[in-house]
Amino acid sequence: MMKKSLKPFRDIIALALGHLTVFKHVFKRPVTLEYPEKKLPLNDNFRGEHALVVDNEGKLLCTACGTCQRVCPSFETIEIEKEKNESGKFYPKNYTIDLNKCIFCGNCVQYCPFGAIIMTKEYELADEKKSALKLDINTLKKNYSDSIIKKTVKSKR
Amino acid sequence: MEYLYFLYIDFLHKYNLPEFIGMATFPLLPFCMVAAALILVVLFLVLMERKVLAFFTQRKGPNRVGPWGLFQTIADAIKLLCKENITPTGAEKFMFNLAPLLAFVPVMVVWGLIPFSSEFDFMSYSVSALLFMTIASIPTLGILLAGYASNNKYSLIGSFRSVAQAISYELPLVFVLVSIVVLASSLNLRQIVLAQISVYPFCGWFIFPAFLGFLIFFICATAELNRCPFDLPEAESELVSGYNTEYSGMKFAFFFLAEYAMMFIMCAFMATLFLGGFLSPFGFYLSERFIHNDLLAQVLVYFEQVFWLFLKTFFLIFCMMLVRATLPRLKSNQLMGFAWKVLLPLSFLNLFFICCYKYFIYAK
Repeated sequence: MMKKSLKPFRDIIALALGHLTVFKHVFKRPVTLEYPEKKLPLNDNFRGEHALVVDNEGKLLCTACGTCQRVCPSFETIEIEKEKNESGKFYPKNYTIDLNKCIFCGNCVQYCPFGAIIMTKEYELADEKKSALKLDINTLKKNYSDSIIKKTVKSKR
Repeated sequence: MEYLYFLYIDFLHKYNLPEFIGMATFPLLPFCMVAAALILVVLFLVLMERKVLAFFTQRKGPNRVGPWGLFQTIADAIKLLCKENITPTGAEKFMFNLAPLLAFVPVMVVWGLIPFSSEFDFMSYSVSALLFMTIASIPTLGILLAGYASNNKYSLIGSFRSVAQAISYELPLVFVLVSIVVLASSLNLRQIVLAQISVYPFCGWFIFPAFLGFLIFFICATAELNRCPFDLPEAESELVSGYNTEYSGMKFAFFFLAEYAMMFIMCAFMATLFLGGFLSPFGFYLSERFIHNDLLAQVLVYFEQVFWLFLKTFFLIFCMMLVRATLPRLKSNQLMGFAWKVLLPLSFLNLFFICCYKYFIYAK
């Protein structure tokens, strides 16, 4: 224990040390990341905008089974128009995901039996119109090819 | 000084203007220069504060408007000037409008009392140090008026705190000033600076005999300026913004300007009293040593003196910002206790010590 009479001196030393500690930070590099120009690296399992996987022949892997609709926790987010092709297989004629309702939980990706839907690393989704956030089948295909070009997802080709 | 005057008259002769205009306007020129300099300095002081605080917290600070964010404050000022001047319904209109002026005008007056160089001090009286302390305490009245007139409990509490703080911290401040006056045997600020000249460079500065006084003065000046850790009058978490809660637009800009201008002036005053004011820390003036044109050197020396004063001032301001970045805000009772129980006795001790020093050592 220190004597009580020494307390003021101890306090003054503590104050000086505190100032010194703060002053040291002048020489450190700022931790600021200037966002629009530089971005943080994203994790591998980042859940961004959706994309429909297209195989080598340019066909969708999706069979319009409706599993994604059933596991989706939010209401009427995914809408699928089913249709049969010549060989008797089902394919989605139209496939819409409403990002206004989507909560980006990733259930649709996890439960898809064919691995036909994935999530890209695109997260800057703000738009002036609400309708722009309703992704139709063409947008979803385009998202896939875009993210292949940007190498944010591994190609399944 | 005469040389500059003749240059000015010559300049006027080129445009066929009579000499009496020169005689009339020449003494006014420095005032205009100084007033403009104060506004400019304050604009960049706000930026400096934000930048320095950013460096202390490992951020980058404003860097979008202009190079290194140089025009950030100008943009902010323009934004403030474009805003509407709102007067609350229950406010005392006359006093509400008077308060920002009362806070700002004394600051401009006090700025003229600082000796910028050995020739240009714009208001040099035999008691200018006393006058400085007197006028520098008027803005507190403006703050009290602002709090009273805006019909808002937060404003009122903020202004009460400010006044209580100013009264209790003015005492040790003045006692330290008295000790400096004892050392310099003069109340004239220029004489105080000239008394700090010594054979060895910077050894004659009053910070060495009066180091305790310097610390007390620094703390009290921080409290007078309502800066962290003594920013109780503007405590955001308790009072919305203190006395300037109800102010907007131009009037708020006046308060803001007065606060930062006072900070600069107080630091300049501190530099004058303790750090040798406009004296060069090398013991000789660089322009005298390196420029061999006599007339040019004579003029440049004055500018160099201003430069040294500003350098010391900015050093002190940097220290104030360091304090702001480090310390948390005090409680109200701690604030009062610190002023009356610690600083006041210490300032007496300092005065006693300085008197002994002056009588036994310095005078011989």
